Amino acid sequence: MIEEYKKVRHRWNAAWSSLIPISVFVLVVMLPANLLSQESTVYASVLSTKLFVVGAANPETGVFYKKTTDDTVWQHTGPKNIRDFGLAVHAPSRGQLICIAAGNGVHKTTDGGKTWKTTTGWQVTEVLSAAIDKANPDFILCTTPYGVFRTMDGGATWAECNNGIKHVFASSVLIDHSDSNTLYCSTEDGVYRSGDQGNSWKRTGLSVDGVRVVVQHPKDPNTLFAGTDNYGIYMTRNGGRYWEKCAAGLDHQTFYAIAFDPNNPQVLYAGGYVTGVYKSIDGGQSWRRMNEGLTNLNIHSLAVDPTNSNRVYAGTLWSGVFCSLDGGASWRSAGLTGSQVWTITVQPF
Amino acid sequence: MNVKKFFLILTLFALQSANAQLVSRETYLKEFEKRASFVTSIYDTAQSSGYYQAAVRYAHGKDIATADKMVIELLRDPRGDMFWMIPAIGTYLQGKDRMSPEARAAMRNAWKTYAPYRGDTENHWCMYHASLFLAAEQWPNLPGSEWYNGKSSEENLRDAKEYLIHWMNITTTIGQGEFDSPDYFPEYAMPMILLSQFAKDPEMKTRGAMMADYIFADFAVEHLEGQYIGGYSRIYQPAVYKPLLSGASAFAYLYFGTGEPTNSGWIVLPALSNYRLPEIIYSIALDRSKTYVHQERKRVRNVIRFGAEKNPPVYKYSYITKNYGIGSLQGGILQPIQQHTWGVRYTYGRPYTTIFGLHPYWSALEVGMFFPEEVKTLIADVVASKGTYNNPDKWTGGSPYERTFQHKNALIVLYDITPGTTTEHIDGFFPRNLEERIVEPSGWIACKAGDVYIGWYPLQEYEWKEESDASINTLNDIGRPQLERVKETGNWRLRSYKPQNGYVIEVRSKDEIGSFAQFQSALNTHTPTAKLQPGAVSLQYVTLSGDKMEFAFPEKRTLNGSAIDLSKTKLFEGPFINAEVGSEKMTMTYKNKKLVLDFKAVKISE
Repeated sequence: MIEEYKKVRHRWNAAWSSLIPISVFVLVVMLPANLLSQESTVYASVLSTKLFVVGAANPETGVFYKKTTDDTVWQHTGPKNIRDFGLAVHAPSRGQLICIAAGNGVHKTTDGGKTWKTTTGWQVTEVLSAAIDKANPDFILCTTPYGVFRTMDGGATWAECNNGIKHVFASSVLIDHSDSNTLYCSTEDGVYRSGDQGNSWKRTGLSVDGVRVVVQHPKDPNTLFAGTDNYGIYMTRNGGRYWEKCAAGLDHQTFYAIAFDPNNPQVLYAGGYVTGVYKSIDGGQSWRRMNEGLTNLNIHSLAVDPTNSNRVYAGTLWSGVFCSLDGGASWRSAGLTGSQVWTITVQPF
Repeated sequence: MNVKKFFLILTLFALQSANAQLVSRETYLKEFEKRASFVTSIYDTAQSSGYYQAAVRYAHGKDIATADKMVIELLRDPRGDMFWMIPAIGTYLQGKDRMSPEARAAMRNAWKTYAPYRGDTENHWCMYHASLFLAAEQWPNLPGSEWYNGKSSEENLRDAKEYLIHWMNITTTIGQGEFDSPDYFPEYAMPMILLSQFAKDPEMKTRGAMMADYIFADFAVEHLEGQYIGGYSRIYQPAVYKPLLSGASAFAYLYFGTGEPTNSGWIVLPALSNYRLPEIIYSIALDRSKTYVHQERKRVRNVIRFGAEKNPPVYKYSYITKNYGIGSLQGGILQPIQQHTWGVRYTYGRPYTTIFGLHPYWSALEVGMFFPEEVKTLIADVVASKGTYNNPDKWTGGSPYERTFQHKNALIVLYDITPGTTTEHIDGFFPRNLEERIVEPSGWIACKAGDVYIGWYPLQEYEWKEESDASINTLNDIGRPQLERVKETGNWRLRSYKPQNGYVIEVRSKDEIGSFAQFQSALNTHTPTAKLQPGAVSLQYVTLSGDKMEFAFPEKRTLNGSAIDLSKTKLFEGPFINAEVGSEKMTMTYKNKKLVLDFKAVKISE
């Protein structure tokens, strides 16, 4: 009897053992991420710390990351001294593919940060932002003071694509999440749109100087917001044909960062030069400042945790990262003290 | 002509010829070796750790164990980006056949694990790519996993070579961007000298030597006893008022034998190298027997926004004698932060061998033209490393409200400053060791510096301020020597608070005009006529030499009735060096000698 029981027990265990990988696969791949856990990863690009001098013994710059459940301890990945303006994390690969937009060019990892390669040559310098096509990770764009560059082969070759852009200084670029032929980029003379993956560009209805950032509604691809240097925030609901200025509640005019709550796109956050953080809960119609606990009001990056809409991160110029756990009502330091944090993204893994 | 007078003339001619011919090649090379030996002499016994201390030990075959120990220790934590790359690869190239396997391995490992920042200016890129090129040649056929940037040896070699050729091309067609910088000359000379000695690729070896010749020729024709004649793209304090403190002056000592002996670290690797100046370059550098005008076209550093043109032209005019030089850029914002628009340099009164003026301007717009960070916070970024940038008392920087017009040794500078600009005053630097600084009844300020006389005619009321701050070397917030905060005692600042403003400068030597009293008399009979209304600043002036100069701010210049068209300025134009815009070719001539650097053909010909 006992031997028989042992045999049955062994078969039972073996069956469960064989099921474990399948179940893990089902849990990880098949289920929505936010049902799995409340733990996401925050990535921050550190441009510099105070008193950065080329050639000096500067503190580390580059990409830092941490789990949202960690407090203020960040890990570093990639080159340590590159003046990192921006970064793009490829969500479908769960962070295996990351591109850094930095002074030395576009750095890329395909193994989650174990190894990195500078994919660009000397022509692509002072890279300000990068974007990776979710569906086709070989299609990557970056922006520089010398315009937009793209690769169609994962970074093996890059080409300038500024046809139609008047002033090529481009601060940000995005790939339409519903159609990767459509791109938007923010430049020194407005927001431009391309319908052919960057072969040509046409200026949208927004032609103000110094557009610093353009972001897209997570569900409605025709709704975009643009933050500008000196002219406030603009919004379009028709893919850029017509833009209207967001005025209600905004007392400032220079905005470097705008972020949607991916779970509720009626909620947006915006920040810029001495603005602190503004929040809108009506899709950008009206805004309210939410600065309790923010000790530096120069905001350059914002991101909402897709697994917890109340968890919001703000990257500052020279005071590192701040975190809110109550949808912006209050903030506390989340580390990287003293850093200029140009870009933040939170990924649900 | 009597016999006595004949022999006197003959003697003078012989002396002048001796001065002009200077030294034979053999003598020059012997003297060079002595100076090189002097430069390196303190490094092979120095106990303080450093790449140059190690490089000299390797080169001299002396105390190799200490050199190895230094290299291994230094490479535990490499820092300094391209300022690390150059001394690191230079040390390796000097020592690779003598260093221990451990030191060699440490060097190799550093190029695998330490990622230097590529920088954001021309000198950074030049040093970065020259070093990377040499390193990639030393360690060929390695995969990307063996390099800090993930690129293979071949990829790094190709990328670095492409950049270097691009830089040489743009420099020899529309001019250097960070041009004529007394403080940044070494950052170009060192990488080119290393390429000329160590590049295995024959093309890059030749190009390195040619480009070294090119920038040395540029310096040779515009220096006076080791001082670069202004204006410049970039200069720091205190070198702006103590010209021989600059890095370029150390190179002048090593290569021309002029200026003051120095052991500056900037010239250690060059002193160890086998690169030698062509005879024609040091002959030009050492011959000031004849006065000459030399003109150049350079270019503005990359304008990345707020401008219609990426690299607008810079026009430089220099007048050089054996006793003094006066040089100027046309004015306006031509370079960010450290521009030096005009200056007089002379041989008397070291270390304060200069008089110059400026509008101490700064703005977010200016730095935003050249740097990609956010405009509203850029000034804070800049001030982190260039502490004087937003200081109203600074001695460096260009201004959009400043323009110049120079003809020979007369210079007009006009200002039309918009109200509300960061500063609404202009300043002039007068060194403490002038023998005379007399305000004449005519308004001219007549200065005497040995046998050089400088006249300064202010167009508006002004005051004298003594630079009386204590001269103390302070440390900045992260413990680095903050040289830019050092102020000198006893120098004089002419300050005028009128926004529509300007002055006329006249310089003469005793040879040219006689006594100082004669100079004073001449000044007093030559006063300018100026109109100084907002938006309508102009001046008419007849120089001490009788030339009529008319100048209306900002760009209308007329000489003896003919309009001056600066756009016709060549890359180099003068008695010694000539180059056409777009030519990729420089021609040097000196007496019966000629040297042509042809970058299209990558060929040096005589």
